Amino acid sequence: MKRRVVLVDDHRLFRAGVRAELGDAVDVVGEAGTVETAVPLIRELDPEVVLLDVHLPDGGGEAVIAGVAQERPAVRFLALSVSDAAEDVIGVIRAGARGYVTKTISGPELAAAIERTAEGDAVFSPRLAGFVLDAFRAGERVHGDSELEELTAREREVLQLIARGYRYKEIAARLHLSVKTIESHVSSVLRKLQLSSRAELTHWAAQRRLI
Amino acid sequence: MAFPQLTPPDRRVAAGVCGGIADAIAVDPTLVRLVFALLALAGGAGLVLYVAAWFAMSAPRREKPWAPLLLVVIAASLALGALGLSGYAVASLALIAGGLTLIWRRGGSLRPGAPLSAAGVVLVAGGFVLLLARGGPADSFLAPGAVGGALLLVAGPWLWQLGVERDAERTARIRTEERAEVAARVHDSVLQTLALIQRHAEEPRRVASLARRQERELRGWLYGATIDGETLTGALAAAAADVEELHGVRIELASSGDCTVDDALRQVVLAAREAMANAAKFAGSDEIAVYAEVDVSRATVFVRDRGDGFDPESVPADRRGIEESIRGRMARAGGSAAIVTAPGDGTEVELTLPRAGS
Repeated sequence: MKRRVVLVDDHRLFRAGVRAELGDAVDVVGEAGTVETAVPLIRELDPEVVLLDVHLPDGGGEAVIAGVAQERPAVRFLALSVSDAAEDVIGVIRAGARGYVTKTISGPELAAAIERTAEGDAVFSPRLAGFVLDAFRAGERVHGDSELEELTAREREVLQLIARGYRYKEIAARLHLSVKTIESHVSSVLRKLQLSSRAELTHWAAQRRLI
Repeated sequence: MAFPQLTPPDRRVAAGVCGGIADAIAVDPTLVRLVFALLALAGGAGLVLYVAAWFAMSAPRREKPWAPLLLVVIAASLALGALGLSGYAVASLALIAGGLTLIWRRGGSLRPGAPLSAAGVVLVAGGFVLLLARGGPADSFLAPGAVGGALLLVAGPWLWQLGVERDAERTARIRTEERAEVAARVHDSVLQTLALIQRHAEEPRRVASLARRQERELRGWLYGATIDGETLTGALAAAAADVEELHGVRIELASSGDCTVDDALRQVVLAAREAMANAAKFAGSDEIAVYAEVDVSRATVFVRDRGDGFDPESVPADRRGIEESIRGRMARAGGSAAIVTAPGDGTEVELTLPRAGS
């Protein structure tokens, strides 16, 4: 059974490219280019996964998630972007996206990421892992009573390895753990990030550039 | 505002002038009537003005509206006379007003190239002379104001237009400069890249790396992303882009924390670049991951490929790449390099530099 996917990106050419790259791996049931068209489309089609651009002309990916989450809580979002701004990416993740991959990702890798998202797992690209480590470290650095719950040593280790370009399987082998355990560590990081307060991350965004 | 029409007979009090004006400027007719009544007290100016308005409104498209104009001038003279001005002053003001009217009617103002009515100029000048020469003491306060006002009326539009033209010119110049800058940028980058892509159309990897590099560069320019040597991640991004272009590989760059580049960190960037280039040349994998982590105590850069790996013992001693460019460079900068690899298991180079002041 192929995964039912909706593409949301304001560049038609890019959507066509993603469609072609994915080929038969998934079933692309719909496309939208704006928040305004995406929200009713997703509500209607009820796909398993939405590939979501971080930046849209009439709002961000966050707005799409906010517009859909209430009515279709089962729909899972995977952010797909070339955006380099950490705070934008973290914003979409906090709104509820299960992961973030860059647009340069290859077709098979993207298909694998969609599968993982559909399963309810988190998808951390190296870049996202770096952003997340950054966000948590800034939390520690600034406050003792950080609202951002701290990462465990193991979670930090896993995130660092993801940032260094290791895949889950390689990380599992290196740490003598199962892939399932790695996945649960990553999901736990995602949860901590989504539960943390907005103020904390705003502070992080302002501080993050230079240490 | 529409030209006032006389009020229809059923609503008019006298000729329908006040009602018409009130309609045209959307105020209460009583107010207009009150103004006319007050003006009538000023030497009868209101009455004359009423007749002038009636002339103008009963036949607004008349070829030569001299009658109402003349009446308006008379009304103004009466009003000024009632204010206590001497006959000379009133006459000279009338002359100035008449001259200005002539000038305006014959082509506007002193705009360059606009025709200037000689009769109008003579009238205005005559008015000034009369005012200055024969005006009584009571008029002395009036003279400077009248001269200034007249000059403003004639020269004002001209100066204003000059200003508008200069603004437009400046805007156009800025726009041209911006366009030239964009054109230069597009020429230097995008067009060159497109030319390169055409020449290398048979090598998809090279085309992809050219496109990637161009995208980074353009994005950096448009959105101010840091692809410069200022910060560690910026410098690494620049190095990665170079290696991508030279060797047709894909480099995924991730980072956590950042800092400005000093001399020691510049050596780290160069060592990292060497590690990327090695991975691109020898590993046989077209994907390289680079991760930079900066915290208060140290900066660490990881360069990892998933390629062939190698046996560190078997590297010939004359191959200076790793020994000189990576280990030696890191040691001189006060840091260290560790290389983890095995045949068939990829390679990871870890560069660590303690941070000054920690």
